[in-house]
Amino acid sequence: MKHARELGTLIGLAALSLVLWILTPHFLTISNLLNVAEQTSINATVAVGMTFVIISGGIDLSVGSIVALAGVVLGLSLHAGQPLAVAGALALVTGCASGGVNGVLVSYGGLPPFIVTLGTMSIARGAALLATEGRPISGFDAPFRAIATARIAFVPAPVVLTACVYLAAQVMLTRTPFGRYVYAIGGNEEAARLSGVAVRLHKTMIYAVSGLTSAIAAVILTARLNSAQPIAGMMYELDAIAATVIGGTSLLGGEGSLGGTVVGALIMGVLRNGLNLLGVSSFLQQVVIGAVIVVAVLLDAVLKRRHRA
Amino acid sequence: MKKIAAFALLAVAAASSACNRGAPPASGGGRPTVALVLKTLNHPYFVDMRRGAQEAADRLGVVLQVQAAEREIDVEKQMQIVENMIQTGIQALAITPSGSREIVSALVKARDARVPIIVVDTRIDPTAAAAAGVRAETFVGSDNYDGGKIAGDYLVKATGGNARVAVLEGIPGHETGDSRLRGFRDAVKASPGIAIVASQPANWERDQGFNVFQNMLQAHPDIDAVFACSDLMALGAIEAIAAAGKTGAIRVVGFDALDDAKKAIAAGTMAASVAQFPAEMGRAAIESAVKVIRGEKVPDDIKVRLELITRDNAR
Repeated sequence: MKHARELGTLIGLAALSLVLWILTPHFLTISNLLNVAEQTSINATVAVGMTFVIISGGIDLSVGSIVALAGVVLGLSLHAGQPLAVAGALALVTGCASGGVNGVLVSYGGLPPFIVTLGTMSIARGAALLATEGRPISGFDAPFRAIATARIAFVPAPVVLTACVYLAAQVMLTRTPFGRYVYAIGGNEEAARLSGVAVRLHKTMIYAVSGLTSAIAAVILTARLNSAQPIAGMMYELDAIAATVIGGTSLLGGEGSLGGTVVGALIMGVLRNGLNLLGVSSFLQQVVIGAVIVVAVLLDAVLKRRHRA
Repeated sequence: MKKIAAFALLAVAAASSACNRGAPPASGGGRPTVALVLKTLNHPYFVDMRRGAQEAADRLGVVLQVQAAEREIDVEKQMQIVENMIQTGIQALAITPSGSREIVSALVKARDARVPIIVVDTRIDPTAAAAAGVRAETFVGSDNYDGGKIAGDYLVKATGGNARVAVLEGIPGHETGDSRLRGFRDAVKASPGIAIVASQPANWERDQGFNVFQNMLQAHPDIDAVFACSDLMALGAIEAIAAAGKTGAIRVVGFDALDDAKKAIAAGTMAASVAQFPAEMGRAAIESAVKVIRGEKVPDDIKVRLELITRDNAR
């Protein structure tokens, strides 16, 4: 059943691509497909962490703000003359720590994730604005910008980076005890606790993973724009949740897959790209993207009901 | 069940393309295609700009693709739109940058695809552009310095060169507000009877315009005139003047000619505002794009007129 759902999302992507291929000659070209993959990389990276959180039955609204905060830390460190490795590490630590704070408040504090991450969404955004006095930090040297501009065997570097993040996360989620606990906590937290899973520790780790992937996305975004903006990443949480849900992960927790999430992110990327290529009005684009999200979730619900019956 | 998923997406995509009549892909018909990428389409200023651009495109036989991000500040989405437009083989790109520095990364891609660039309304950062080796064919927009000067000249004339003036500035470091301010100061400099007694930022906001000006009135009860770098701040100041019971005694000059400001001018609570003409910017942008496509030369800078709105011409 799990694989069937993943396959369904993939077929959806294929069907969408087919339609676009028929409607416009500009869609199915190597350069455009690489273009879509590059544009999708940031959302896909954030959505990987979001998938961990949602499978565990939680939600993380702070990812967009963490993207901004980690980006600002990166930008300030680079401008202060820190080497790329140090600045990058600082950004990742910032993301991980911010996520960790979410996790501690949710698990040890026993607070609802929606409220906790709503709070940290505002705190991280405010901190990013405070640190920069509201101004973007721009102008970095070529070695750093290569993270966005380099090509590795024709493939844009952000796509390669996102693929690495996905593979590492896939191993973590499917081949380690931590991964099994993510599903167990989302399926039935009380049962997981009674069977000896250190629920609070693992929940903290889950939110830290989400913070970490947000920080990786921040590195890509900052290199892409050649600028770290304190106002970056607004509404990224909604794009990431949408990709995760289109990919078949249940908001109720306990089930879902990273493969589905990446395909979900690609569906959103292809849709935006295709609607641009077709010259569809930007207002209508929002309607279409919203409709696809609703249709995907509706299908999921219908299929599940039939499966149980 | 997989089929259901596929059909649903097909239906959505088909529906979206059905609504797409009149916006053919770039390769259609042999007419050149120009993309106009705006900051947003949910602000009257940019809606006017689009209207002007569309009129010019229809007149010149150009296919116009207008796209904008959902949010004005979302420069990454604007970059995606530029990348996607390049894929459709557009012949020219006209853009109002959401970020003067950030957009340069997107313009690098346009340059690499040999798409000529027309910058509209907001300049790109010259240092960032030079560092990236990006060059715009032309800049189409109003000169904020000139606008500030128009406001200053008006105030000198209206007060007979004798006034104690307060100034409400925008967010410090914003090129737009700084230029307006410089223009205003240069205009009143020549009149020794004009004294700028206070000049403080109110960060483009109406409520801050109110508070800051109220404080200024406390410190300088004899203020005769106010120049606000935007109408929103001017409208805030007008409220503060009314609260102090001084309506009509203090001349207020703003910038942007917002509808609310025009109403205040017609009602006599505000003296004047400097108007910009976004529709003309849109028109000039498309005309320049067509010239560039034809290989004709365009000037580096195309200035769109500014106009002082006073009680005589406020509608």
